[in-house]
Amino acid sequence: MPALDAVEWETCLLEPVHNPAAERALRKALGVVPPGFTYFLDSAWGPAAAIAFDLGHLPLRHLSSKVAEMVALVVSQDNACRYCFNMTRGVLGILGFSDARIRRLEEDLRTAELDAAELAALQFARRVSRAAPPVGLSDVAPLRALGWSNAAIAELAAVAAINVFYNRTATLPALPYQAADELFRRPTVRLFGPLVRRWMRPRRRRAPTPLAAEARVGPFAPFVTALEGLPVAPRLHTVIRACLHGSTLGPRATAMVFAVVARGIGCAVSEREATQLLLADGMPEHDIEPALAHLAAPSLGPLERAVAALARDSVWPQPASLQRHARTIRPLFTPQQFVDLIGVAALANALCRLSIAVDLAPPSA
Amino acid sequence: MVWLELALALLLLGSAGLAAWSLQERRRLRHRVDSAAAELQRLQAAFGHFAPGAVVDRIAARGRPSEADRREVTVLFADLVGFTALGEALTPEALVAILNDYFGRMSRVIEQHRGHVAKFIGDGLMALFGALEPNPWQANDAVHAALAMQRALTEYNSELAARRGPHLRAGIGIHRGPAVAGVLGSYTLMEFTVIGGTVNLASRVERLTRVHGQAVLITDAVREQLDPRFALIAMPPAVARGVADPVATWAVKGFDGDA
Repeated sequence: MPALDAVEWETCLLEPVHNPAAERALRKALGVVPPGFTYFLDSAWGPAAAIAFDLGHLPLRHLSSKVAEMVALVVSQDNACRYCFNMTRGVLGILGFSDARIRRLEEDLRTAELDAAELAALQFARRVSRAAPPVGLSDVAPLRALGWSNAAIAELAAVAAINVFYNRTATLPALPYQAADELFRRPTVRLFGPLVRRWMRPRRRRAPTPLAAEARVGPFAPFVTALEGLPVAPRLHTVIRACLHGSTLGPRATAMVFAVVARGIGCAVSEREATQLLLADGMPEHDIEPALAHLAAPSLGPLERAVAALARDSVWPQPASLQRHARTIRPLFTPQQFVDLIGVAALANALCRLSIAVDLAPPSA
Repeated sequence: MVWLELALALLLLGSAGLAAWSLQERRRLRHRVDSAAAELQRLQAAFGHFAPGAVVDRIAARGRPSEADRREVTVLFADLVGFTALGEALTPEALVAILNDYFGRMSRVIEQHRGHVAKFIGDGLMALFGALEPNPWQANDAVHAALAMQRALTEYNSELAARRGPHLRAGIGIHRGPAVAGVLGSYTLMEFTVIGGTVNLASRVERLTRVHGQAVLITDAVREQLDPRFALIAMPPAVARGVADPVATWAVKGFDGDA
């Protein structure tokens, strides 16, 4: 596990944005505008993703909120995301975890007073996040042995993947992790923390969540339908649709990000879906394999090549190296495009990891 | 009565002293545990550069893991040509300083191209691409790294020439294929490495750089996965020690595009 205070972290690549309409939408859905989201308010789909993926408001059918929060901690630590790690530590503190317990979770899961199911869950979440190599049946086996259903495993994978999404959105632009520390040191936050504890915990939902017919068709629909019954499924559909319709990168560059990340992780389903998007955009079929094998092809312009190279580096990132890479290519993009690139790369990393895990344990099986 | 009060006061004082001492000891112990944990995290983070995270976790939990797996890797061997003779002309201090400087520069270049140095062998090194993560672009990464290593060596030679140092020449051989990856060694010295025919052939290809008089040689297995924008020249098949058939190689002359 990386010692996070030793992880190199660049200065932030983005500026906070003031967008009253987006702020209103966030306040209405979440009660507040979380500080990290202020950097993404210019994106047409960023606020929709933030609302749909907010772990404090995502109803859970099988997972306890305690496990969900611990997953957030170990995944952000594993991804060396200093921003998300500090945020999650603060949230765990408000949720009633003692400093000593949080420290034990950071240091060694085996000494963190976890029961067998919690330990297995955190180890599985870590493997989903790492994807090096992607999770396999041997990773699912300990959970099954402890009585976890496929639906519970899929929900766990979804929570891990959503944390990967947040980790990438914070790591790529080097969001200032110091801000998270300061936020949870504020006297008001410390004073009212216990009061908001109950409000912060995600609700349990016992009944299956229905999936609309429109979510069963279109790009990446197999991901959504594979999670049918879980509250995360319709939210995933909302984010995918918002991203594909709202990304200012253009359809080809957006699809390239998904395709490159899928190739890197080895997710055949995601690569197939992304390839369909590239073909639909008119990319010649004979160009697609060279584009994915060498991240260059005659039909890719400079912007698309830059996007592909950054997408590749986002799969197993060394934070500072990824941040320097992002800084180098930033002048090629408008501010909105650059924010969208960060979001698309984050979503691709989350979806590809989730797809592989859900293939092993389809909830509907 | 006075004696009783005095005894009680002494008892209270003693208890307070004991409590204060105990608190201080607990703080000291906590500090030592924290320091040890932080040191362990630093060590794990450092080891994480040389082995997959899952391997590091298993070593931390259970000591040396016994499991190993077969994976597709690209192996790069680099060796300094004629360095043994050169070493005899230098003082031991100068020799070590030059070698360490060279290794430092080469390691940085390899890391920049997503590889990692698995071991230093005398004046040579072995680097792996795709050993820590399943990297589908490993062949391109390794060959880009080889070209960047040659550029870094040219730069270093300029610096050495300015202070009347020796001129270094490196031969680089690259091969790709399946290899067994795992933690090898004893409890006192262990390393995450790969073994198998792929590693042996990569080493032999590096030796062929001297036969063909080329700086960077790759095998057919690497060429098949390579970006066509690399400029390659076919070398005649040559006999390599320990390999039954003559080995066909390609000299890498450059790259026509953005790396």
